Amino acid sequence: MDEKRVDEVLAAHAEKLIDQTEAIPQIDITDEERGRVAPLFQLAERLQHSMQPVQPSAGFVRSLGQELVDQAKRQMTVTKRLRRAVVIGAAALGSLLSIASVVGAIVFVVVRLRARAQARAIRAPTG
Amino acid sequence: MQEESDSGLIARAKKNPETFGLLYERYVGRIYNYIYYRTGNHQDAEDLTARTFYRALKHMSGYVDRGAPFSAYLYRIAHNVVANWHRDTSRRQIISLDELVMGTLKRDGPASLAEEREEQDLLLQVVHGLPPERQKLLILKFVEQMRNVEIAEVMGRTEGAIKSLYHRTLVALREELTQVQNGREELTGRTGHG
Repeated sequence: MDEKRVDEVLAAHAEKLIDQTEAIPQIDITDEERGRVAPLFQLAERLQHSMQPVQPSAGFVRSLGQELVDQAKRQMTVTKRLRRAVVIGAAALGSLLSIASVVGAIVFVVVRLRARAQARAIRAPTG
Repeated sequence: MQEESDSGLIARAKKNPETFGLLYERYVGRIYNYIYYRTGNHQDAEDLTARTFYRALKHMSGYVDRGAPFSAYLYRIAHNVVANWHRDTSRRQIISLDELVMGTLKRDGPASLAEEREEQDLLLQVVHGLPPERQKLLILKFVEQMRNVEIAEVMGRTEGAIKSLYHRTLVALREELTQVQNGREELTGRTGHG
């Protein structure tokens, strides 16, 4: 009996253990094979018997749920504030850049006009 | 009425905090069970379950739905939380073979009941000693009663890999149990003679 076949047999057995109502593919095994996997079947059955689901206390579930919702609200408020701060910051930066570019353009024009006036003055005949 | 899908709830939870509560209600039992069987006591299970959900909430905005079940994300967080807990506090119970055997020998109560309880405790102790991935597999299979396909999704492996891991886990568990039981018999023999 190769390892892969044992994998399949054990898997089918476990599926059957956890859900007996569902149609689980049956795997026919010989007596010799059964002898090999029987101790593992028994162990799986013991595990199923010992590992029963537990219930958290209702009080714990309720209070943690409330705490989480409160925390989620706080988190969302912080995120909104942060987002608003980013938007305001970006707008302020944009305004500053606009003002700076207007000032820059004015300075550029003034400098050009002055340079032109100076050039004209140099070219004009004296006396 | 059909239950809303995880994807729908996740999308809503990113905009509306109340919705995270619905995801929490859907999974709190499973995560609690997983942590309970990894730590062995209710107090730590409550503490670590809370940590798991707080961490999930914190990273909710960055969660990307890649088609894997949301439970896989939660189990991964729970797995890390439990691993940190074991590492940081060094509270992992390491019980020597003799201590374990003596503990089970000392029990009172009706013989058959006590014996059955002893066997169960012994089995769970040995399960606790398995590597985390194997413990996770057993918890998902027997406590959560998940099918192999579902376990494969949660653990991010193929179904074939899960079947093979299950086989190896049972074999390892049986060997470990045999060792413990042999130790117990030896000790019983010694105390019987002494």
